[in-house]
Amino acid sequence: MKRTTLAILLLVLAATAAAQNLRDQVTLVTLDNGLRVIFVDSGAAPVIAINLMFDVGGVDEPAGLGGIAHMVEHMAFKGTPSIGSLDLEAEEAALAEVEVRALSLKYLRANGSPEEVEAAEAAFAEARARAQQLALTSPLDALFSTNGGIRLNASTGYDRTSYVLSIPSNRLELYARVYADVLLGTIFRQFYEERDVVRQERRQRNEDDPQGFLFEAFTSEAFDHHPYGRSLIGDSEEIEGYTATAAQAFFEAFYYPNRAVLALVGDVEVERDLPIIERYFGVLEPGPDLRPRLASEPPQLAEKRIVVEYDAEPQIVIGYHKPTYPHRDAFVLDMVDAVLSSGRTSRLFQRMVLQDQSALDITTSSGYPAVRYSNLFLFYGLPRAPFGTADLEAAFLEEIEELKVELISDEELQKVKNQVRASSVLSLASSSGLASTLAFHELFAGGWEVFITDFEIYESVTAEEIRAAVGKYFTAENRTVAELMRAEAE
Amino acid sequence: MRYLMLLLILLVGAALGQPADWPDPFAMEFATVEFTPSEPERAVLANGIVVYLAESRALPIVTGVAYVDARSTFDPVEKVSLAAFTANLLREGGAGGRTSEEIDAQLEFLAASVETGANDFFSQVSFIALSDNVAEVLPIWRDVLIAPDFDEERIEIERQRQLEAVRRVVDNPVQVAVREFYSRVAEGHPSGSYATEETTSSITSSDLIAFHGRFYQPSATVIAVSGDFDSEEMVATLEELFGAWPGEPVDYPDLPAYNPDPGPKIYYGFKEIGQSVILLGHPSVTTYSEAYNDFNVANEILGGDFSSRLVSEIRVRRGLAYSTGSFITESFEYPSNFVAYAISPAQATGEVIELLLAEIQRIQEQGVSEEELERSRQTILNQSLFRFTSSSAVNERTARVQLLGLEPGYYERYLENLQTITAEEVREAAVRELRPDEVVIMVVGDESLFDRPLSDFGEVVTIELE
Repeated sequence: MKRTTLAILLLVLAATAAAQNLRDQVTLVTLDNGLRVIFVDSGAAPVIAINLMFDVGGVDEPAGLGGIAHMVEHMAFKGTPSIGSLDLEAEEAALAEVEVRALSLKYLRANGSPEEVEAAEAAFAEARARAQQLALTSPLDALFSTNGGIRLNASTGYDRTSYVLSIPSNRLELYARVYADVLLGTIFRQFYEERDVVRQERRQRNEDDPQGFLFEAFTSEAFDHHPYGRSLIGDSEEIEGYTATAAQAFFEAFYYPNRAVLALVGDVEVERDLPIIERYFGVLEPGPDLRPRLASEPPQLAEKRIVVEYDAEPQIVIGYHKPTYPHRDAFVLDMVDAVLSSGRTSRLFQRMVLQDQSALDITTSSGYPAVRYSNLFLFYGLPRAPFGTADLEAAFLEEIEELKVELISDEELQKVKNQVRASSVLSLASSSGLASTLAFHELFAGGWEVFITDFEIYESVTAEEIRAAVGKYFTAENRTVAELMRAEAE
Repeated sequence: MRYLMLLLILLVGAALGQPADWPDPFAMEFATVEFTPSEPERAVLANGIVVYLAESRALPIVTGVAYVDARSTFDPVEKVSLAAFTANLLREGGAGGRTSEEIDAQLEFLAASVETGANDFFSQVSFIALSDNVAEVLPIWRDVLIAPDFDEERIEIERQRQLEAVRRVVDNPVQVAVREFYSRVAEGHPSGSYATEETTSSITSSDLIAFHGRFYQPSATVIAVSGDFDSEEMVATLEELFGAWPGEPVDYPDLPAYNPDPGPKIYYGFKEIGQSVILLGHPSVTTYSEAYNDFNVANEILGGDFSSRLVSEIRVRRGLAYSTGSFITESFEYPSNFVAYAISPAQATGEVIELLLAEIQRIQEQGVSEEELERSRQTILNQSLFRFTSSSAVNERTARVQLLGLEPGYYERYLENLQTITAEEVREAAVRELRPDEVVIMVVGDESLFDRPLSDFGEVVTIELE
């Protein structure tokens, strides 16, 4: 017992020291136009991990344009009027023609004869070929990679869109010059070629992969109204119907400095680097804080259940609606997540993988599919033959019932608190991970330092709260179940 | 015309232009970053284990890894995955008299981890611990490495899990295509073999004990420890932990010869999906050999990064794939593989195969431009800085290099070559190392949707995916 107490004390000290150290390393500056810049001086090596995160995502998409946030994210790599064009005047004229041809083709596909469609397709292809001749293919990649940049990438979620890069620290000005220019006005070159790329991305991730297929169907079933239920990448019809005009309008509605946080982690010096950021990002005008009114999700009154047919081994996913931060139950349910599936001693791993041996693997998540709005607590499992999805569901439900009745022991609660503390220290080890975490908290949680203070909330969660939260949210009527199986296995 | 003007305004409406005093980003120049990372310290324990140490007080964490020359390529033909299964059971089967449950409970209470794995180059046993409780984690890590108990019940559980995982490989078109491609391009060599129901079922506890006893030896082990500790104290601790591991010489197996010329042949596996997973390639040079150093530049320009020809042509200009490119696999003792790939609409399968082959031929016939070579050169040279940004990454790489027996200075030679290589030498490397007429082609997809029959490209062998 003495050893145990000491181990806990040491963990607390390590986490506290790490938190204090982080506070000392961070400087937050808000530019006049509202862009928040987080500097984290943590680097011995002369490199910086960058995350530029925007308050725009899948939830902001208009009806019929599912996935347009993701499409716009792809377009941000295509350059700007001053980056990538070989003859700007000619290129702009060529792109305008591409757009006319695209809109005309769209109209004819709905209303025209086969011959008219064929002619329009040929004219569209020719216009695109002409425009391609007037621009570089991947100007941002070429610029950053030749300057030693790595991990140039972006990701779109329901809540936010992130643009990331790691770069030698003496190239920060190149970064600022390029990305401020992207915000001044990206040019939607090669839009229709990229639309085809996104269509292929959808096939690869959501159609030809059983897990992607199952989750898309499940998420759509679980939410009746809230946009978390829409396909994040868009359905194929939506993607094929995008126009550059619509994408441009979306970009212009949301991409402003006052809707963004720029996190820089590594070899940063505020005195040296802030003037660089101000010179470029400072010229951007703030924009309106447009916020589409989102449909709220009404309380679910009865269990929903779907079976997805797919030629693959079975899988099952179960979700329960729950609140998100800063509601205290969201923190409590994060602890439930750890109790159920964090590590080999977690309840579901012990029960289903080791004892019943009914599962190849299981996992849970307390924040699906995103965390800004009320979301789902998820149970996901891959049955081990001859067991099936029904066996996994029964085991999930039994473990839930157990948590509703029995208080978890002090030791088990302490274990998950230790895991949370350790994760707070370990999360500081990755510069790019830290940039993302701090940007997200600054953008949505009320400040980057909430990342630290949140750990104090976890510290205070009690066994009684865990039991109460499980009882409150994990009810039959609040549940959505989706099973993937082969047609003949029904 | 008015409509056209309106669109013009819409499209460039936001593009009022950047301030006149902003520099042209393509003309911005920066000094080369000079950075000399601290070299890891090296120690040799009494029983011969080489240890590399990298102290860093930035975070209260210690990480460590033992690399062991116990490669997956040592798997006997009838027991494929033995190395990986052994590594897995080191962790899952109990160790040093502790049951697996006891190990899990202790580590998770300390919020520490010990994990294992195996690949074609080595097996490894790693740990992560907060520095204040590393003293409690190290003995567990040591026991997992050298004193596994291989509990029979846990062996059976892990076997059943692996059987389920084997069953599920075919669910993922990319996974199954990659598995089938390597099994053909490296036919008869253990690097191309994969676990089946039969091989998984045949592995016994005696096999695990024998594999561990034979290959997990001090002379075949290199350790890297990084983070918040005092090096002198750490070496003393490791000496104490591993002092009782005497070791004996290792009798390494002879690997079968690698057939450098397995093709040309086209393999087709049916899956009812909308895309085709296309892989094509052939055996190539060993990594960091002189021939590799030249050929790698050609590959970078052909398909190695986002600005490369394959990505530009197939993805950016034609929208025919989200994933495409080419790469050379890593291999130090037998041939690596050159691989070009695309995941493309089934209706464009033939078109994409032709594009992949055409770009290979084009780089052979027309070579590369000075501009492409310079882009590739600057990219590799400038990005190499990131090899040194984490002291633990440097430390662990140093340990792996020691274990693999790479010649000192291999990477410096690679970079030196890059600085002086000419466009003509790149073309010559492409001519020498690329063999578009002799590629093995693997296509997983639905041929009823293909634009052309695969037989247009040569003899087709249909395989059952299972």
